[in-house]
Amino acid sequence: MTDVLVRDEQPSALHARRGLGADAPRKEDARLLCGAGRFTDDVEPAHSVEMAIGRCPYPHARIRRIEVAAALGLDGVLEILVGSDIAIRTEPIGILRPVPHAPPIPHFALAQQTATYEGQPVVSVVATSRHVAEDAVELIDIDYEPLPHLADVISAMQPGAPVLHPDVLESNLLVSNIEGTSEAEATFSKSDVVVEGRFVISRVTGLPMETRAVLAEWQPGARELTVHVSTQVPHLVRKQLAESLRLDEGAVRVIAADVGGGFGLKLGVYPEDVLASLHAMSLRLPVKWVEDRNEHFRASTHGRESIHDYRIGARSDGRILAMSDVYTNDLGGLNSPFGSSQLSSVVFTGPYKVDCGFVERRVVLTTKTPIGAYRGYGQPEVNFAYERLIDRLARRLRMDPVELRALNMVQPDEFPWVNPVGAVYDSGDYERCLRMAASAVGWDAHREAGHGPFAGGRYRGIGFSSYVERTGYASAKFLAKRNSQFGAHESVTVRANRSGGIDVYTAVSSVGQGSETVFAQLCSEVFGLDYDAVTVHAGDTGSAPLNTGAFASRTVIAAAGALLDACTRLREKTVRIAAWTLGVRDPGELEVAGNVVRHRADPSVATPLAAVFGQAILGQGLPPGDGPGLDETAYFEPSHAAYSFGTAAAVVSVDAETGEFTVEKVVMVHDCGTPVNPTLIEGQVRGGLVQGLGSALGEELRYDSETGQLVNGTMMDYFAPSACDVPPIELLHTAVPSPVTSFGVRGAGEVGAIPGAAAVANALCDALEGCGVELDQLPLTPELIWTALRSARDRKQSVRD
Amino acid sequence: MNAPELPQDFFTDPLGLAEPAVVITVEVNGTRVTQQVPARLHAADFLRRQLGLTGTHVGCEQGVCGMCTIIVDGQAIKSCLMFAPQLDGRSVQTVESLAHGDSLSPLQELFAGEHALQCGFCTPGFLMTATALAGAGRQLSRDEIRAEIAGVLCRCTGYESIVTAVERYLGSAANPVSDD
Repeated sequence: MTDVLVRDEQPSALHARRGLGADAPRKEDARLLCGAGRFTDDVEPAHSVEMAIGRCPYPHARIRRIEVAAALGLDGVLEILVGSDIAIRTEPIGILRPVPHAPPIPHFALAQQTATYEGQPVVSVVATSRHVAEDAVELIDIDYEPLPHLADVISAMQPGAPVLHPDVLESNLLVSNIEGTSEAEATFSKSDVVVEGRFVISRVTGLPMETRAVLAEWQPGARELTVHVSTQVPHLVRKQLAESLRLDEGAVRVIAADVGGGFGLKLGVYPEDVLASLHAMSLRLPVKWVEDRNEHFRASTHGRESIHDYRIGARSDGRILAMSDVYTNDLGGLNSPFGSSQLSSVVFTGPYKVDCGFVERRVVLTTKTPIGAYRGYGQPEVNFAYERLIDRLARRLRMDPVELRALNMVQPDEFPWVNPVGAVYDSGDYERCLRMAASAVGWDAHREAGHGPFAGGRYRGIGFSSYVERTGYASAKFLAKRNSQFGAHESVTVRANRSGGIDVYTAVSSVGQGSETVFAQLCSEVFGLDYDAVTVHAGDTGSAPLNTGAFASRTVIAAAGALLDACTRLREKTVRIAAWTLGVRDPGELEVAGNVVRHRADPSVATPLAAVFGQAILGQGLPPGDGPGLDETAYFEPSHAAYSFGTAAAVVSVDAETGEFTVEKVVMVHDCGTPVNPTLIEGQVRGGLVQGLGSALGEELRYDSETGQLVNGTMMDYFAPSACDVPPIELLHTAVPSPVTSFGVRGAGEVGAIPGAAAVANALCDALEGCGVELDQLPLTPELIWTALRSARDRKQSVRD
Repeated sequence: MNAPELPQDFFTDPLGLAEPAVVITVEVNGTRVTQQVPARLHAADFLRRQLGLTGTHVGCEQGVCGMCTIIVDGQAIKSCLMFAPQLDGRSVQTVESLAHGDSLSPLQELFAGEHALQCGFCTPGFLMTATALAGAGRQLSRDEIRAEIAGVLCRCTGYESIVTAVERYLGSAANPVSDD
């Protein structure tokens, strides 16, 4: 990697050990490079049969009648389930992270009388092959009565709009929550300047390259259900499956070995997981379902869609006095297995020091695919709103947007900083990241050179976006208030083996983040043995302690503490046994070094780790007071969330006639605390940034307002970035350790996705400043710019007239 | 609950050939295989399901995402767009051919060294695309490499490290011009 890594904080004594901070080669790579990963569809037990799903083709329809006789007669068809079977045999699917105070909307794995989104499962078929199962779905005759659709939140909230869930709700507003300080309105009215805008964030999808997949096997008699599933949260899927299927949790084992990307979309149990399990239990055969890509666009959760009405009140010198955001999330037809995205509220003031403000979240049901978590979970959305508005405020006050940001940022000596909704920012140097970004992107030179037009009539602009990201969860207490069905902790079991190595067991599945590598590094760091002697066993609830999972940029934040605790205890016992064996009275005189335990002062006094581990496993040659075994399990819950932070800057050139533009460069300065593995962090940040730029520039799931149907739900029609679509990117890092986590780490998984859209939009508006263009919706297409240029011109014309 | 009845031939027909079948002979990673395949099975599913070569992944089944890229008679192709019967008489190379036992090939080592993979689902597609590019023997600029690999999507890495790994491979002595 050629990009600069700025490591200007002194590492603590702990960090001197091998492991932490090293660019260790990834544990995951060799198998994946050989094509020997174990993704769910790669597991193929003998006599597996396959499931296909019949889905509602309408956005909203009553199901009058289902006729399955012809399908059952097809050669190779084994079983068909319809909604009434599911209502008898299962409980409704639970929600892991309900919106606070929202009433539950119970739904089953198959639609009952009414379907509320296109793609909702209506029937499931198992046959000897997927081909035959799909043929059978075609033969099932379903009489639908199409009902009025609600393609957006505005129409869903109109008086007289059909109510999607009349048994539970009086309107399509699921719930609204308001948080913040009550004196905000008074502060707005005292402000010298108030800027406000409506910011429209489009509906997109995480689009992991591996679609969802499930393979369910049932052992009757033993009553064991083994479910291989492509998920970020094996233990939470186990909980939800057991509840839905009315099984004891002990009967359910969930395995997610390799997961081909998640990005928030694979959080929690989906209907197909329940259905495959039901079929496996009645057929007593392994049942597999692999989502095809067309299903994926309709049946896997979408992300982001929301409308933010944002306001900033400021003094004439630029000091921000109050901020508010009233936003509406388009939830779709049902709650997703995880719930709607909720973090816009927590970080709505971004990195800015403002005492006063409020945020209101409204969650509205429409007849679209449920919205779930997607990388950033509300934080990219609200960042677009406040960072666009900061630039407008700068224009209004004729201030340099960099100086306006710097003036208002929380400063290093002001932490911990509590924002108006009670989020506690732990530490950081926000302004330094901003200044580094301004310098790297050539801001001063740009201010001198102006916007153009330059060669070819193109205008040039630079835009910034500064952000904070809440990584990890505040605490179980925070989550409990919100009725969350999971905790804030992570856990590991570490176990010595006879080869002198350590096995680490975690239910954090490998979704590409490199957690096997990082866990092994931390184990090596704390225990002192070689990195290569650590084997990480990931994603199997049969062996791993109960945990939370791979999401919310939280794995390392919580798992580092668990590894520190478990590996410390394991090391202490190892050293006690070695001291006893070597006749050293004080175990503190010994250390683990590579594959031996040795005397610190006299390394010739040593015994191989394999020997010590063997003694413990046999229970022979142990010191008084120590029993057999070398096996520790630890849980860790951070006291607070750690906030990552940084600034992105984009350079664009744009044709002011057509709106065609090029993103010439993106710089991102990012801080995720103490880096455990700089290369992996850079991979996370860069990948997230490109995903964020995808949503900013091209990706959008469009629904037809006439029919309410998804019009671009195929890979041909949805434009995820290819290798040709990525602008040059320069990444810069700072490393301010967080005081609230072990080792000072902050999360790194989602930050990249946050600032790209606002940076590019601000750059375009900077370039076109002379034209008076403000771009307040995504994606940022030439058409959007062309339209904005036209209406700005018309406005000027009408003023002149 | 009572299990539904299985069809009479369920255990004698484990491939689920409740549909027309064709016999094909194809060379896969240097080994000749003759198999009976359902007429509408695509090549990726043939490799995965019938030969157990699960390194070839399936991502969209409409020729866009490139997960299923394999090499057929020297050409990188998307195996979801080809029926298994079309492989009859042809030579196929998949990702499983690259490593020798546990030791990675130079191309695979470069991918690991450049951190050119995260979840690894797309990786076989890029490896086979790069292998075919090397077979064609042209030197390519970074922009040309971007264009050549644009038929395979990656959602994790942001591509830069993949472009670098492929560039280093195509430019290195580790890339022998061979005829196998």
